[in-house]
Amino acid sequence: MIRFLTKRTVQFAFGAAIAILLIVAGFAYRSIVISGENGRWVQHTHEVLENLQDMQFALETVSSSIRGYVLTGEETYLDPYRAARVSLEQHTAAVGELTSDNPAQRENMLALERLAAGRMGRADEIIDLRRNQGPSAASEALRVGPGLRVGVEYRAVIGRMQDEERRLLALRLADAQRSTSQIKITLILGTFVGLLITVAAGLSVQRDNSRRETAEGALQESERKYRMLVDGVKDYAILMLGPQGEIRSWNPGAERMTGCTWEEVAGQNFSRFFSADDVNLGRPGEILRKTAESGQYEEQGMRVRKDGTRYQIRTTFTASRDPAGNLRGFSVISRDLTENKESETKYRGLLEAAPDAMVVVNQGGEIVLLNVQAEKQFGYRRDELLGQKVTNIIPIGFAERLIADDLRSTEDASAQQIGTGIELIAERKDGSEFPIEIMLSPLQSPEGTLVTAAIRDISVRKAAETHLSQMEGRYRGLLEAAPDAMVVVNQGGEIVLLNVQAEKQFGYRRDELLGQKVTNIIPIGFAERLIADDLRSTEDASAQQIGTGIELIAERKDGSEFPIEIMLSPLQSPEGTLVTAAIRDISVRKAAAVVLLQKVDELNRSNEELGQFAYIASHDLQEPLRMVASYTQLLSRRYKGKLDADADEFIAFAVDGASRMQRLIQDLLAYSRVGTKGRELLETSSEDALQQALTNLRGAIEESSAVVTHDPLPPVMADDMQLTQLFQNLVGNAIKYQKSGVPRVHISAARNGGKQWDFAVKDNGLGIDPQYFERIFGMFQRLHKRDEFAGTGIGLAICKKIVERHGGHIWVESKQGQGSTFRFALAGSQAKS
Amino acid sequence: MTLEVLLVEDSPGDVRLTREAFRDAKTNINLHVATDGVAAMAFLRHEGDHSQAPRPDFILLDLNLPKMDGREVLAHIKEDDDLKTIPTIILTTSEAEVDILKSYQLQANCYINKPVQLEAFEAIVKSVNYFWATTAKLPPRANGG
Repeated sequence: MIRFLTKRTVQFAFGAAIAILLIVAGFAYRSIVISGENGRWVQHTHEVLENLQDMQFALETVSSSIRGYVLTGEETYLDPYRAARVSLEQHTAAVGELTSDNPAQRENMLALERLAAGRMGRADEIIDLRRNQGPSAASEALRVGPGLRVGVEYRAVIGRMQDEERRLLALRLADAQRSTSQIKITLILGTFVGLLITVAAGLSVQRDNSRRETAEGALQESERKYRMLVDGVKDYAILMLGPQGEIRSWNPGAERMTGCTWEEVAGQNFSRFFSADDVNLGRPGEILRKTAESGQYEEQGMRVRKDGTRYQIRTTFTASRDPAGNLRGFSVISRDLTENKESETKYRGLLEAAPDAMVVVNQGGEIVLLNVQAEKQFGYRRDELLGQKVTNIIPIGFAERLIADDLRSTEDASAQQIGTGIELIAERKDGSEFPIEIMLSPLQSPEGTLVTAAIRDISVRKAAETHLSQMEGRYRGLLEAAPDAMVVVNQGGEIVLLNVQAEKQFGYRRDELLGQKVTNIIPIGFAERLIADDLRSTEDASAQQIGTGIELIAERKDGSEFPIEIMLSPLQSPEGTLVTAAIRDISVRKAAAVVLLQKVDELNRSNEELGQFAYIASHDLQEPLRMVASYTQLLSRRYKGKLDADADEFIAFAVDGASRMQRLIQDLLAYSRVGTKGRELLETSSEDALQQALTNLRGAIEESSAVVTHDPLPPVMADDMQLTQLFQNLVGNAIKYQKSGVPRVHISAARNGGKQWDFAVKDNGLGIDPQYFERIFGMFQRLHKRDEFAGTGIGLAICKKIVERHGGHIWVESKQGQGSTFRFALAGSQAKS
Repeated sequence: MTLEVLLVEDSPGDVRLTREAFRDAKTNINLHVATDGVAAMAFLRHEGDHSQAPRPDFILLDLNLPKMDGREVLAHIKEDDDLKTIPTIILTTSEAEVDILKSYQLQANCYINKPVQLEAFEAIVKSVNYFWATTAKLPPRANGG
C-alpha cells in the first residue's frame, strides 16, 4: 500500500499528521490550562479555608483578649485584641474577595461580617465598661452578653462556608479529572494516529529516497560507462563544449587527434583547433551558431594539430539544452579522415594491382604515394621517391599541369582517359629517358586535392612508331607486297610492325596491334619460340623456310581461330634482333588435306571391297565350274571313241575350256589372296621359302630335267607363303619358257647398299624383248600363243603384287634369246644383316 | 563286308560324282545320302522316314548345307554319346583355315578339301575308301541296324 503513495499523498499525509499533532497540542495546552485552573481553584479553596480559619481564630482571640482584660484590666491584654481585629478585617476582606463570584458564600460572608461587627461592637462596649465601671460591670456584661452565641453562630457560618468551598473544590476537581482523561485519550489517540501517518509517510519518503538513491547510483554507473565508452573511443574525438565553445571535457581520442593534453585545452575555446584562416573567417562561431539553430550540424573541415600539421575531419556538433530550453553547451564528435587505415590498405592493394605505374602527387608537386610499377619503371626505391618533386621523374609537363588542373573542373579532369592521355618524357634514376603516356585524375583527400597519375611506358609503341617511320621507305613496299601476313616482333614478344595482309587476316586495325603482345593473335607456340630462337644461331633461324614452317593456331579479333603456317626469320635492327614472321592462313590447305585423307580412306575401302569381291567371286565361280569340268572329263573318259569324231572333238574343247577357266580362276584367287589373305611380315628364311617352292615344282623340274641352283640366301621380313609363291612363280616361269635343252636356273641375293636385299632369278630361257619389260607384270599379259605356252597371264602380276606388298619392287633384265634375270628387292631381317 | 556310309551333301552333282567315284573305285560301300543337316540328323536318329535307316560306319559331311549347316551337324553328332563314335569326315570346297580349325575343335575325325580336278577327286574318294574302309579299324556296330 505504501508503495502506492504518490508524492501528493505523502504531502497530504504529512499535512494530516501535522494537523493532528496541532490538535493534540491544543488539547495538551488545554489540559495544562485546565490543570492550572484546577491548581488555582485548589489554592483558592485553601486560601478561602485558611482565611476562614484565621477569621475564626481572630474572633476567638478577640474573645479571649477581652476576657483577659476584663479579668486583669491590664492593657497588654488588649494588644492581641487589636491585632486580631485587624487580622479579622484583613481575612474577611480576603475571603470576601475570594468568594465574591459565589452568591451563596457572599451571603455567608455578609452574615459573618454582621456577626463580626456585632462582636466587635460588643467588645468595645465591654472594654469601655471595664475601664469606666470596673471589672464587675464588665464581667457582668460579659456574662449576660450574647458573646458566646455569636461565637457559635460565627463558627457555624464558617463551617458552612468551609463545606461549601470543599464541595465546590470537589466538583471542580471531578470536572478537571474528566476533561483531563478526555484530553489524555485524545492525546494518546492523536499522537498515535499522527505517529502512524508520519511513519507511513516517512516510510514512503524513505522508499522514495532509496529509489532516488538507486536511480542516482544507476545514473552514476551509466555515466561511468559512458565515460569509459567515450574514453575508449580512440578513432573519434569526443568533446563537450560550453555554450561559448569552451572545452569542458574530451576523450583520449581527442587527445590523440589534436596532439594536445587535457591540461592544455581545458576551458579553452575549441577554435584553437581551427586554422588561423578559419578563425579569421569566424568559422568556429558560425558552426556553433548553426548548431544552436538547428540542434545538430555536420561539418567536414581542416584542423590543425599542436605540431602545426593539418588534418581533415568530419564532425557532428549537437546542441545540448536544459529542460527549459536554455543552451547548456555542445557535444562534438569528430572522425579523422586522414587515418582511414583500412580503406588505405584497400586503395593500396588497388594501386599495386594497377598494370601501370601509379603516382599520387599533391598540389605542391610532391609525390605522396606510388606503386611498385612506378618503382620499377623509374628505377627508384619507394623511399627515394616519396616526398620528392614529381619533376624528378617527369621533368616537364606534369607539374605545370597540376596548376592547370586547378583551373579545370573535377568533371573535366575525370573525363580524361588513359587513351587520351598526355604524352610526356619521363626520366629514370639512371638518367635515361623514356616516353610515357600519362592520365591524370583528381583525388580528394584531407591534404587537399591530390592528383593521381597513371603512367604507361610507351617506349615500345614509340619505338615501333619510330621504327615504322624509319622502315617505311625501305621495307614498307616489300612488306606490303608479300602475299602472306607479315608481323615483326621484338624479343619481348611485342608486335613492332605488320602489313596489310596481317590486318586482314587477324581482323585488327594496325594501331590495335602495334605494341601489343604477339600472344594476342598467336596464343601458343610463337612467343615461346622467340625464346627458343635466342638459343639458336641466326643461321639456323634463317634456314627455316616457309615450306618447312611451324603449324600453329592463330586467333582473330573476333575470337575465331584458324590454322596458320609460320616462318620465322631474324631481322637485325637498331633495337636488337627482331623476328619477322611470315604467316600463311592454311585453313584451305588443311581442309584440302582432310578431304584428301577422306578420299584415300574411301579408296582404300573401295579397293579392299573390290579385293574381297574378286576373291568371293572367283571362289564361288569355282563350284559350278568344278561341276562343268568334272562332268565333261567324266563324259570324255566314258564316252571317248563311243560317239563320232565330232563329239570327241567337242568334248575335248569343253574339257580344255573348263580346265583353262579353272586355272584362270585359281590364279585370280591367288592374286586376290595376296591382298586379302596376306599374313604379317615376319623374319623368314628366304632359303626355306625357295626350298618349299622347288618342292612344289618338283614335277615340272623333273619333267623338264631343269637344273636349279642357288647361293646361300638371307633371312628377310616376309610372309613365308607369299615368298614361296614368288619363288615358285619365277622359277616355274624360268623352267617353262625354254626353247629346248636343259633349263638352268640360278637364284642369288645381294645387298643393294641399304638394308634391302636384291634377289635375282636368272635363267637361260627365251629372254624378253625390252619393250615388254613393264607389260609382263600386268594382269592377263601374255607374250606367247596359247598353244606355245599355257598360262593365264597372271603369274607375274601376282609376283609384282607380292613384292609390292613387301615394300619392294620387281623388275626384269633380259636380252631376247639370252635368258632373263628377274630381280626383286626385299627388306632384310632387322636382327641379322 | 559292306560298309554303310552317310554322305551329307546338298549338291546333286557332287552326290553323283561321289557315287560314280565310289563305283569306279569298286568299293564295297552302301552310300546313303542326306541333302541337308536336318535330314542328316533325322537319318542318324532314325526319325520319321528314317526309322529303318542303318547306323553308318562313317559319315562324309559337307560344311555348307541348307537348314542346318555341317558345323552344327558335326556338333550334334559329337555331343551325342551314341553317335560320337561314328568317324565323321569333313568333305568340302572350303580351304579357309577357320573352317579347318573349327572342324577339328568340334572333333571332326578328318578334314578333306574337294579337289577341283576330277582325277584328284577320284583319287580322294579312293584314298578315303582305302583308309576308312580297309585300313582303319572302326568301332563295333554296337547298336547298328
